[in-house]
Amino acid sequence: MSRTSTTALTLARPVIRGLTILNILYAAGISALLVFSFFIEGWPQRPLGFDLTHAHPYAGFGLRVLVAIGVIAAAIVHTILRRLLAIVDTVRDGDPFTLENAGRLEAIAWRVLALEVLRFVVASIASAVWEPGRIDGFSIASCFAVLLLFVLSGVFAQGARMRADLEGTV
Amino acid sequence: MAIVVRLDEQLHARRMTLTELAARIDITLANLSILKTGKAKAIRFSTLDAICTALECQPGDLLAFDPTLTAED
Repeated sequence: MSRTSTTALTLARPVIRGLTILNILYAAGISALLVFSFFIEGWPQRPLGFDLTHAHPYAGFGLRVLVAIGVIAAAIVHTILRRLLAIVDTVRDGDPFTLENAGRLEAIAWRVLALEVLRFVVASIASAVWEPGRIDGFSIASCFAVLLLFVLSGVFAQGARMRADLEGTV
Repeated sequence: MAIVVRLDEQLHARRMTLTELAARIDITLANLSILKTGKAKAIRFSTLDAICTALECQPGDLLAFDPTLTAED
């Protein structure tokens, strides 16, 4: 293993824990924002200081949907971080090539794909308000990341099966 | 398993211990013990080659097939 990989693995655990805390704080913050939006008089023009309904008649509703998507995304990110931490822990324990880790990677791949779909929904809502007809939700790098995660989960699963075959070989 | 390992008989015929064989062929005593007791699931050709060279025998002298033994044995 290269020095960079070793350093990354050493740093991974505290970084993931830190990101988990930040994500929980973010989820709590935007959940509070969503709840308070129903009780603030003249929302959203009063807190923002300008009237969004000039841009689009459903701009206020769109903002609430964006915040709700943010809460869902935070929940998805939380499940990703938990699985990532479990994978890092198996590396620390010296046994990362297991079918459980392959399953975790596949689950992470599906969740990253779900986040990409949510990003596309957010971009569509934003474009409906600000620039109708222009959607910037697609990213080739993100598609590669999802593909890479699915490939890696397949490699892990195959590696785990091959290792199981080798157990008991003299 | 219906495959029987006859390493013990070959060692006995040559008055050699498992520890001596392990030292000669550079395979751990633990792994050779797994092979001798029939607990191994598979054997590499390289291991078979090393044992046959050290004991001056054929693979057939080390392995046998006993159809009376079941897969669970």
